[in-house]
Amino acid sequence: MGALNSLPDEPQYVGLAEKTGFSFEQIGILHKRFKQLSNNGETLRREDFNTIPDLLCNPIRSEIIEAFFDRRNFRQTDAVGTVHEIGFGEFLLVMSHFRPPSIRLDDEQKEVIRMEKLRFLFNMHDTDNDGTITLEEYRHVVEELLSRSGALGKETAKGIADAAMLEVASISMGHMEPDEFYEGITFEHFNKLLKEFEVESRMNIRFMNMDTTTLCK
Amino acid sequence: MDDLWAITLWGLKTWLYLLLASIMVPAMFGFSLGVSETYMTILVKTLEWATLKMRKNTEGHALKASRSSSLIQRGNDSMEKEFEELRRSRPKQPLGGDFTFSDSFYFTRQGIESIVEDEVTQRFSSEELVSWNLLTRTNNDFHYISLKLTLVYGLGVLIRYCILAPLRITLATIGLSWLVIGTSAVGLLPNGRIKTWLSEWVHLMCYRICARGLSAAIQYHNKENRPRKGGICVANHTSPIDIVILCNDGCYAMVGQIHGGLMGVLQRAMVRSCPHVWFERAEMKDRHLVTKRLTDHVNDKTKLPILIFPEGTCVNNTSVMMFKKGSFEIGGTIYPVAIKYDLKFGDAFWNSSKYNMVSYLLRMMTSWALVCDVWYLPPMHQQEDEDAVRFANRVKSAIAHQGGLLDLQWDGGLKRAKVKESFKEEQQKQYSSMVVGDDSSNSD
Repeated sequence: MGALNSLPDEPQYVGLAEKTGFSFEQIGILHKRFKQLSNNGETLRREDFNTIPDLLCNPIRSEIIEAFFDRRNFRQTDAVGTVHEIGFGEFLLVMSHFRPPSIRLDDEQKEVIRMEKLRFLFNMHDTDNDGTITLEEYRHVVEELLSRSGALGKETAKGIADAAMLEVASISMGHMEPDEFYEGITFEHFNKLLKEFEVESRMNIRFMNMDTTTLCK
Repeated sequence: MDDLWAITLWGLKTWLYLLLASIMVPAMFGFSLGVSETYMTILVKTLEWATLKMRKNTEGHALKASRSSSLIQRGNDSMEKEFEELRRSRPKQPLGGDFTFSDSFYFTRQGIESIVEDEVTQRFSSEELVSWNLLTRTNNDFHYISLKLTLVYGLGVLIRYCILAPLRITLATIGLSWLVIGTSAVGLLPNGRIKTWLSEWVHLMCYRICARGLSAAIQYHNKENRPRKGGICVANHTSPIDIVILCNDGCYAMVGQIHGGLMGVLQRAMVRSCPHVWFERAEMKDRHLVTKRLTDHVNDKTKLPILIFPEGTCVNNTSVMMFKKGSFEIGGTIYPVAIKYDLKFGDAFWNSSKYNMVSYLLRMMTSWALVCDVWYLPPMHQQEDEDAVRFANRVKSAIAHQGGLLDLQWDGGLKRAKVKESFKEEQQKQYSSMVVGDDSSNSD
């Protein structure tokens, strides 16, 4: 950053800052990153994410990239489907699910943020948007994480997925009849499963040396 | 009309003579008149004044980010530790298979973190300055601060483009043409001690002129470790100017591909006076041929040390990327050299995807100056039980440590190519061994 820190697109940033909760500085940084990834273009496409070597090594990269193009994450009520390219606004909106939490939040706001993050993570795996993570979708995640390269056989991966799913079912539904079929993890079950999991503190990007309060003019 | 011509000619003549006297003669004989030192002191004072001026003006704005080498704090713990933390909150023991959904969150966060900032991509763009050095090219958010500052900036532009640049271009042209003429002349002599001595003198002289042509202020450290004949000199690579910087203080044999055009003329002239190692394009592909020729050169103790940049590409001088092992398989003594440029006076990094060679050189000639430090490190040999890759990494760490650069494992070739498939599977393998390793009772 140069010592001249005033940002060129301030009016636009004000709107974005309000919508996403990032500070001006953080928006500036992310905007630079956006321009770098999109080669100074106005929009990002899926291919642009392939220029990040670190990301290519991530087993669930396709879900992560897909999350940026998923309308459900754009904070528009009831929007579904995917888009081919996103502008900086949408990029920021998706990133805002991972914004560092402000310390001055009360419990209710914290709960809202927690729900948002959980919803984001849920949407990442509920690829057909039917409101549940079915056994198929779950198996898909397990397979991706446990190496497609052949170190782990498909049967083993399937076995692990089934066992894990069984565990989830027993937690959510209690005791099941032998012929009862567990359709999938709904958002409520998901929430219940991860009750103890500190989503707010674990799922955020920690900016360094930044003043996270918004600018006052 | 004739008078005008006479006057212009006279002006040009005096200009050239002045040039010769004050810059070239000292360059030829290796002493300095102190002009550049005074220039640098004035420059430093002006830049300090400019920075102070701007600090005062921006006080009204919010806190500025101090330049840290990373934007976000990444999870530095190993995968195992992170998963321990994640799983602490699990409700009960697993029935089979130590896998739980929250494991995918670790990877999600890693992924998002790499989208915000990753180690590799940022090495291929120019480093950012904390304070402005009166060159618009280094500041992305330039706008009006005060009249005085703008005047100084305008004066700076005038000086740089109208006075310094023509001077430097003249010097560079003289330096290069003298290199061609001198080396060709020396090449006519029969082989012997005089020829070697003369060739070294010619080379040094021309590189010194070129260095003046860039207003380079170079500080050499630990000169006792300078590379000797029959050795291999390795250094980190930031721009083609590295060659001028290093050759200012010693003679090296270059290694590289024969080009056409001006470069080709230079290369052919140079090889007449002392042996360099130039390859045809087709020969470069044959690794055995390359290694053999280099080994032959190194084994001949009368030949100059070869200069190699093992990164293979230009990196922006904040880090050192993976050293290719080829140069370390030749044997012989390795003399590592660390080069670090001072960004305040001019950015030396050549972003070959953004600028071609000519516009890069023009940018160099219109910067204030080129300040850098060169450290000669003590020679290293390959140990008995070390393979070439480990040796290369050892040398790389030494260079990175001395120059204050980050030591990265990534391949500089990633500037243009994609990540190897084997790297992609790494994380999956590590994770799956964690999951399955814990679970010995799972049977299916």
